[in-house]
Amino acid sequence: MKSKAHRHPASFRDPSGYIVNEGSSIKRVINPIYFPVYDALCKEDFFTPLFKAKLLIPHLEQERTDESIVLLPEQIQLVTYPYEWSFHQYKQAALLTLKLQNYALDRDFSLKDASAYNVTYHRGRPVFIDTLSFDFYQKDSPWRAYKQFISHFFAPLVLAHYHGAEALKMMQTHIDGIPVALAASMLPKRTKLSPTLYTNIHLMAKMEAKHNDEYKPKSREIKLSKKGLRNLLRSLYDYIDKLELKEQTEWGDYYNKTNYQPEAFNFKKEQIQKWITGGGLRRVLDIGGNDGTFARVLLKDLDLAVVADIDHTAVDLNFAQVQTNKEVNMLPLWFDVAQPSPGIGWSNNERDSILKRLSAWGPQAVLALAVIHHMTLSGNIPFEDSARFFADLTSVLVIEFPKRHDSWVDSLLQRKREFINHFDHYNQEEFEQAYKAYFTIEEKVEIPGSHRVLYLMKTRE
Amino acid sequence: MMGYFTMMFLYFDPGLGAMLVQAIVAAAAGIVLFSKNFMYKVKSFFGLTKSQKDGIDTIDYEQDEKQPNEEQGS
Repeated sequence: MKSKAHRHPASFRDPSGYIVNEGSSIKRVINPIYFPVYDALCKEDFFTPLFKAKLLIPHLEQERTDESIVLLPEQIQLVTYPYEWSFHQYKQAALLTLKLQNYALDRDFSLKDASAYNVTYHRGRPVFIDTLSFDFYQKDSPWRAYKQFISHFFAPLVLAHYHGAEALKMMQTHIDGIPVALAASMLPKRTKLSPTLYTNIHLMAKMEAKHNDEYKPKSREIKLSKKGLRNLLRSLYDYIDKLELKEQTEWGDYYNKTNYQPEAFNFKKEQIQKWITGGGLRRVLDIGGNDGTFARVLLKDLDLAVVADIDHTAVDLNFAQVQTNKEVNMLPLWFDVAQPSPGIGWSNNERDSILKRLSAWGPQAVLALAVIHHMTLSGNIPFEDSARFFADLTSVLVIEFPKRHDSWVDSLLQRKREFINHFDHYNQEEFEQAYKAYFTIEEKVEIPGSHRVLYLMKTRE
Repeated sequence: MMGYFTMMFLYFDPGLGAMLVQAIVAAAAGIVLFSKNFMYKVKSFFGLTKSQKDGIDTIDYEQDEKQPNEEQGS
C-alpha cells in the first residue's frame, strides 16, 4: 500500500482515493471502498471512449493489491484553476462536465461531484482529471452534484454574463463555489422571468433557505426520473452554450494601436526566435503575453508556452486562437503579475498559488515584453523587486525595456501628475543596475524605429 | 456495499433544497426544450433552420491536432 505521507494536500475530500506525488509523477490511489465502482466502470469499458475523445485524462492501471489500486494518469505540465481561466475557457469546462454526466447516465453511472477543480486545461482543451468522480446511478434519484454544478459553473458564468468576466475571480474567495443565495442576490430582477435562471438560481436559493435547518436527510425520498434529469442537463447545456459576455471585444486590433512599426515588430519577433529557439529552450512563460502573438512565433519548437496576461479579453482571444488552430502546446492564463492567485483552501495549500505551480513546472525562459513599465509605473514595483521575482521563476529572461521617450511610458508618467519626480528612477541605467544584482546581461539590442531595448539576461550562478 | 454508500453520503452535503428543487427545474427544462423543439420543427417546415451544432450528446473522437515535436509530460 502507498504511504499517505506523499498525499497531495488537495486530495482529502473524497474517501474513494487520493493523489500521491511520487518522484516526478502524480499517481492516483484508489481505496477499497471504491473498488466496486471502479471495477464496474472497467467492465463496461466506460473509460476508453472518453480517453479517445480526450474528455477524461487517460490513465494506466499500474498496481493492484487488496488494499489499493494505483493509476498512473497522463501527466499534466501545469494545472490551472477556474479563477485563472477566461470566460470561454470556463464555459468549455462547464460544458465538458455536463457532457460527462450525460455520458455517464447513458451507462447507468453518475458524477458524484461537479467541482470546477475536476477540470483543467491540457493540450489545448479542457479535460476532466478526477477519475474517481463517477459513481453508480441510483434509479430515479436526483443529481447529488447538481448544487455543486450550479455554484461552481452555472452561477459564475451567469454572473460573468451580467457583470463582466471579473465575476469569475469570485471563485478565488469561494473554494466551494459561489453560494446560490449570493448569486441570486446579484442577478438583475428581470432574470426571474427566465425559466432557466428562475428555477436554477432564484428558486433554488429559496428552497435552500427554506430547508437549510432541516436535518433529516433520510426522512423523505426525493425522486426524479432519468428523463427529467436528462432534460435538466440538456437545458443547462443549451443555456451555457449560448452564454456570452456583454463586454465589447475590441482587442483584436491591439497590435495596430501600439506604437510599433512593422519593421520593429518583425525585428522583435526574429530576435526572440533567435534567443529562445536558438537556445533550445522548450518551456516558456510569457508574462504580459497578450493574445500570444509573440509566443506563437516560437510555438512549433516548444513543449509548452504559458501565456499570462491581466487583460481578460486578450486571454480569451488567445484561447479562441488555440481552439481555431487546434494548438496543443499553448496555455492561456488569466494572471495579474501584481496580484498572482494565492494558495487557498485548507491550510492555504489545498489549491496552490500560481507562483508555486509555475515554479514546479519550471519555465526554461520567461518573456517579459513591454510589461516592465506597467509593473514599475502602474504597479509601483521597484526594479529590485521585479528582478528578484523574475530570477525566482527562471534562469533565462528576455525583457523589453521601453525608455522614457516611449509614448506609453510618457503617458504612464503623465498620470503621476505632481508625483512625476518620484519616478525619475525609471531609466535604463537604474534598470540595468538593479537587474545586475540577479542577472548577467548577455545581449542587449535597440529595437529599430522605437524607444525600446531588448535584453537577454541569465541568472547569476 | 452498505459501507460504500454511507461513505459517499458523508462526502459532501448535496443540500436538501437543491435535491428537492430538481424536479421543478427538470419540469421547466422539459417545457423549454419542448417549445424549442416545436419552434425548430415549425422553422424547418418553412426551411428556416440552420444546421444543428455541437450538443450535449456529441462526443467527437476524431480530432486532428497539430503535434509539437514529440511532447513529453514533465
